[in-house]
Amino acid sequence: MSGLDAGAGERAGGAGAEGEGIGDPGVRHSGVRDSGVRDSGVGESGVGGGGGAHEHVGAGAGAVAGAGVVGDGAAAGRRVVGDPVKALMHTHRELCERAVDPLEIAAGLEAHGVTDRTAAHFRHRDVFSLAEEMYARVPRAGDTPPCAAVPELPRARAGWIVLTLLPGLLCAAAVAGLRLTQGPPRLLTAAAGVLAVALALRAAFRTGPPNGAGHAGAGASSLGPRTWWLAGYALLGDGLLSTAVAGGPDGPPTGTADGPWPVAVAPVMALALACAPAAWCARLFAVRARRRLAASRGLEEFAVSVRPLLLGTLALFLGALTVLLAVCGAVLDQSAAYPQALTLGALLLLARLLVTHGFPHAPAALLTAAASAQATALASVFAGRLPGCDILAAPVDGLVTAWGPAALPTLICGAGAATLLIHAMHTLTKASSHASAEGPW
Amino acid sequence: MRIGLITEGVCPYVNGDTRLWCDRLVRGLGQHQFDIYALAGGERPEGRGGSPLPPQVGRVRTAPLRTAGDGGARYGRRARRRFAECYGELAAVLCAAGTGDPSSAADAEVSAVEADRFASALYGLAELARDNGGPAGALCFETAVRALERACRAPGAPRPAREARVPDLLAAATHLEHALRPLSLDWYGDDALGSVDLCHATSGGAAALPGLLARHFSGVPLLVTEYGVQLRAHYLAATEASPAVRALLTAFRRRLATEIYRRAAVVTPGNAQARHWQQRCGAHRDKIRTVHPGMRAAHFTEVGESPERADPGTLVWVGRVEPAKDLMSLLHAFAEVRRREPRTRLRVVGTPSGPEGAAYLGHCRALAAQLFPDEAANRHAVGDNPVSFEEIGGPELRSSADAYAAGAVVVLSSVVEGFPAGLVEAMFCGRATVSTDVGAVVEVIGGTGLVVPPRNPRALAEACVTLLRDPERRQRLGAAARARALELFTVEQNTRAFHSIYLEIISHTPARRVLLDDTGEPLPFALPAEAHLPGSWAGAPPRVVARGGPRWALDDAPGEHPAPMSAAEGAVR
Repeated sequence: MSGLDAGAGERAGGAGAEGEGIGDPGVRHSGVRDSGVRDSGVGESGVGGGGGAHEHVGAGAGAVAGAGVVGDGAAAGRRVVGDPVKALMHTHRELCERAVDPLEIAAGLEAHGVTDRTAAHFRHRDVFSLAEEMYARVPRAGDTPPCAAVPELPRARAGWIVLTLLPGLLCAAAVAGLRLTQGPPRLLTAAAGVLAVALALRAAFRTGPPNGAGHAGAGASSLGPRTWWLAGYALLGDGLLSTAVAGGPDGPPTGTADGPWPVAVAPVMALALACAPAAWCARLFAVRARRRLAASRGLEEFAVSVRPLLLGTLALFLGALTVLLAVCGAVLDQSAAYPQALTLGALLLLARLLVTHGFPHAPAALLTAAASAQATALASVFAGRLPGCDILAAPVDGLVTAWGPAALPTLICGAGAATLLIHAMHTLTKASSHASAEGPW
Repeated sequence: MRIGLITEGVCPYVNGDTRLWCDRLVRGLGQHQFDIYALAGGERPEGRGGSPLPPQVGRVRTAPLRTAGDGGARYGRRARRRFAECYGELAAVLCAAGTGDPSSAADAEVSAVEADRFASALYGLAELARDNGGPAGALCFETAVRALERACRAPGAPRPAREARVPDLLAAATHLEHALRPLSLDWYGDDALGSVDLCHATSGGAAALPGLLARHFSGVPLLVTEYGVQLRAHYLAATEASPAVRALLTAFRRRLATEIYRRAAVVTPGNAQARHWQQRCGAHRDKIRTVHPGMRAAHFTEVGESPERADPGTLVWVGRVEPAKDLMSLLHAFAEVRRREPRTRLRVVGTPSGPEGAAYLGHCRALAAQLFPDEAANRHAVGDNPVSFEEIGGPELRSSADAYAAGAVVVLSSVVEGFPAGLVEAMFCGRATVSTDVGAVVEVIGGTGLVVPPRNPRALAEACVTLLRDPERRQRLGAAARARALELFTVEQNTRAFHSIYLEIISHTPARRVLLDDTGEPLPFALPAEAHLPGSWAGAPPRVVARGGPRWALDDAPGEHPAPMSAAEGAVR
């Protein structure tokens, strides 16, 4: 090391001689390097040479050696270790362990003030080769990195829970109002109830269990009209169909289950109440899927682990809906209409799940298909009354006489729900559908 | 000449120093026409920042890079297959172990093959995006994630990539999608970057990617200017992501940087450190022209030309106060200086940067109070501390030039430094300097100041004392420093350097294009041969040029340049 320094000193002196002639040995020995002033015609090329010369001069007299040359033996002895790179690695332990690439160590070292001149002390040409040695020497004893922390969904807030309960409660209040009122106020109550439930649904699904708030809002608004049609059919459709097949209807519905056009309030109220379990189930699915995402090592493994989760979520919701239907049927003393309501509930839940995970197209198409199938069936019954068009009403008539009016919505919604389930088993098991929408940047 | 200036940041220029530089470059080169293409960051494009654009700016196009959403097109079956192929290839290259040193021959061959694979995958994706629009939708994302998984599980993948879990794959795919977003810009047509004569990317990385594609699609030469190497900045910035994500992303950025340096006509680093990084990443030595950043010298002229304003016993430190500046070491050095030269004073001029800097400033004040008791001229005067902490903007120091003017010697004690702007200002002021050997200090100072090792207060003190005791040498060094700074670090020098680089690139790689008329037919002779020559050619008689030309041009490699040879010979005869 001292030989190197002597050489550096000579070169420094040589460089200084041409300009200013600093022959002051005290300065040089103490580690100050002054290559003197070049003559004032400092041209472009001359300067480049100057820089290069300096790097050579600097090679010998960095921080460590500088202390040694002063003659301070204690200071010099304190710094000398057998393996300087090892000491450096100890200093930058965290950097070395973290690095995925020698260049990352090089960048970190430079940020800590290590230059090519310093690297020369470690017998390296430049920082890059020093970093390469450090990267190669980092002990990597098969330590697996800690599980990447996946951002959890924010905790459910009380406000959100109240919002999900709101449609059901408002619907129950409206039904109670209908029971207690008569005449024109009853009509007003019905209108106000429908409006309030509509607004509550909108609010609940705008802030649903989001993967991205954008998805949820957009999906809710695009699916809105179809959902309303399906709910309306659940309320009025069965009564209308049975009346129509029998030759009616002869007047508007009276709002009772035993009139000429019976209204099925119980399943609709149960469905409105089921908004809360639906939202909770969707959230449960999102949270659990994210946990499995964080735990799984491969895409296939993740898909396999999510499939039962999806089925379980659906089963949980259907169970909750069954209970609600039974309760509503008992309270209102009406038929609970299990098959129609359960298939419709499954269809709507699956559509909701797909929309919140960024697949709005398939649910939109299927809900449209279901709604138009119901509309076509109703229209065909009425079209059958036209002279010579009996044949049009035949299929629906046959269906209703064979299995009753409930068969039509059950078949349609059931087919839709099955199709959506198959689609969801395919898409919701992809890891990409559970990536956080806000993105890491 | 039409220059396509590609910047990264808020419209129309990027923020901060680079913005200032771009503005000066555009205003300084009025003879060229500039089209500005800005890749906007997260913020909304702001107004033009007060100053109107100069007339040489033809158009400004801004592309928002960070708006997520379904902006792209849905691919058909064939396009999806092509996407899967290209992306799979890209992912495979990212996971290939090829971090070797380009200087060794075997590694160089392997890395050249890898670089070619990366380039073909990148251009494949770019062509796909040009023909079919940018990839969008869940299908492409899923394809990308699957490709990444396959590449990470392939044999030979680096260790961090092998351990990638599903969230890592998702994060990496998202980041890559963002990094590849310039591919789907509509900038590469004949009405945009395809029509310029030269693309000038004001930084590496994302900003150079459009230039790379313009070169690929239209053969426009690319000039890359990097004052700070983007790759290095990414290494320092991306420390939070998991190792697998970082491994994939840094591999992408490294390959992209290599491809940019390989394809660029000229690469201009701002200092030697950036040059080393670029060379390390595959920039060929012949392409590199170091262009130092330019700074305004006008404020410092008055101070620089009046060296007698300096207070002979004062050391000055100017800068932003932060731990990397190592003021502690400076204070200890000053204690040593005081022991030898008792009447010396130290003025620390600067504002703290951030809360950390403020805390550091507090520590420094405490240390100064401990080391140096207040002093007074006599028994009846009020004393003060030989170390004063001041800020620019007070009545005494109106500008930084005043701060430099106050000292006989300007000291720089940093342990970490990039390009030392403060040192250049001191040089403009014609002050003798003592600085630590960090960053680009040695390169900037040349031989016109004293340089000591960092973290060595004794050496720093010794150098300061040497200069304090020798006013004549101080003046000599100061004058030389000022001459050097005026030669190398002025705005004019910077602009001139870029002007000549533009001309050089155009003369070596003229963009050849065929002009089309209204019906789409090529117009013959629409571009005369003179259009390819820089400057006005008609005015200069060729004989004079040939006579004035150097003799060696005639003897040099006669086989390679037949046409100029014969012309020159004719002129000489």
